[in-house]
Amino acid sequence: MTGLVWLCKRETLRVSKLWTQTVLAPVVSSMLFILVFGLSLGGRIKQVGNVDYEVFIVPGLITMGMVQAAFANNASTIFQARFDRYINDVLSAPMKPWQMTFGYTIGGIVRALAIGISLLVLAILIVNVPIERPFELALAMALGLLLFASLGLVVGIYAETWDHTSFIQNIVILPLTFVGGVFYSVHVLPSPWEELSHFNPIFYLVNAVRFGFLGESDVSVWLSLGVVAALAVPAYAWAQHLFTTGKRLKS
Amino acid sequence: MFRDDPPALELRGLTKRYDDGTLALEDFNLEIHSGAFFGLLGPNGAGKTTLISAVCNLLRVTEGEVLIFGKPHGTLEARSWVGLAEQDINLDRFLTVRETLEYHGGYFGMHKDEIEERAEEMIQAFGLTSKRDVRAPKLSGGQRRRLLLARALMHRPRLVILDEPTAGVDFELRQELWNYIRRLHAEGTTILLTTHYLDEAELLCEEIALIRGGHLIARDTADGLREHFGVNRLEDVYVKAMAS
Repeated sequence: MTGLVWLCKRETLRVSKLWTQTVLAPVVSSMLFILVFGLSLGGRIKQVGNVDYEVFIVPGLITMGMVQAAFANNASTIFQARFDRYINDVLSAPMKPWQMTFGYTIGGIVRALAIGISLLVLAILIVNVPIERPFELALAMALGLLLFASLGLVVGIYAETWDHTSFIQNIVILPLTFVGGVFYSVHVLPSPWEELSHFNPIFYLVNAVRFGFLGESDVSVWLSLGVVAALAVPAYAWAQHLFTTGKRLKS
Repeated sequence: MFRDDPPALELRGLTKRYDDGTLALEDFNLEIHSGAFFGLLGPNGAGKTTLISAVCNLLRVTEGEVLIFGKPHGTLEARSWVGLAEQDINLDRFLTVRETLEYHGGYFGMHKDEIEERAEEMIQAFGLTSKRDVRAPKLSGGQRRRLLLARALMHRPRLVILDEPTAGVDFELRQELWNYIRRLHAEGTTILLTTHYLDEAELLCEEIALIRGGHLIARDTADGLREHFGVNRLEDVYVKAMAS
């Protein structure tokens, strides 16, 4: 287990050494969303359901900041290690494949938690966001982070250039997050957009997190958690498969 | 060390075919006894780095078996016995000299106290004292090469694999690395060295294997190879073996 502990330390160290890029920048940009969208539009939109608009958008923005960080961190750490080939130091070490998968997953999760906790504290201070259902919130976050940290690993392992990692982030994850109900309730969308939103996996994650904070969401929290779990488990299994077989990691 | 010990390295029918169809090693058999200083010579593309990567679990073996001191190379025990200094510099850009050694020791299961002591010992042995808190990208080429070797030795491996360790280094550093490698061998460590420098192979290695196109061409002491090929210089052995 010593190897796993050191790999986790290494992945955490990378996050802390680059904290201005890895934590501060995403916190600042998410806070700008809360301030600009929440406080400016909040004057016009007032309430979504029974919740003030500036409070309504906080769960989605925290989710967005966290999942993007979990994905980007792991995609870049594994791609960099492959590109510079210092991953060989880990691949040749007496560690089991599950330890390598777990160790490389941790960095993205730690980074996402640092961002999430910072945003939560700021959101409580600025807009007094409540936490109505802490258990569901923790479960939604855990599953969401597992999903995106694992996806980051998989993409980082398959990527052949830096562009591949940023392509998935900018062309897939970011747009899906924006249309996943971060800034609005999908009930306000006309047909067929409301129905189409239900095919967006991030919609379920945002709703599960929103339920944890506000105690209400567009769909059942258990359906949301089920969908996220149904994606997170195979994503992690995929990453584990790559470390077990050495596919794309070993020639 | 002791001839009754299992071989430090045993390759049985090792075959590696890459995904693009290139056959890098074909039914390759080799045995290196414990405590040997063994040289592997061959042109670029002969299969030297493929062989080393197979031993160190850095590639997916197509067929065959790799045993390290009698244990399959994929076992955790066997992995912990091997130290590798690769041909190209592959240092973690986020870590300092000291961290590079400490994290390597950690990955290889060393205990914290032992890690600190050994890292300090390696830093001093390889003349990196003034650079201990400097990150790898800020080191000179020679310092990176030393760190690479220090990292390979950090966990006290029983089998050290050096893939062209003196490629592109200046005369002084080459001598320095030779001295360190010799000392290591004298302490009983088995060494597998690949090099393009024939003088280096002759000076350091007790036995030399010549490989070409993924096959073993010949294996003997430098004198034995000269006698076998009927020439006076190792250069001529190499030319004849590669042309045959």
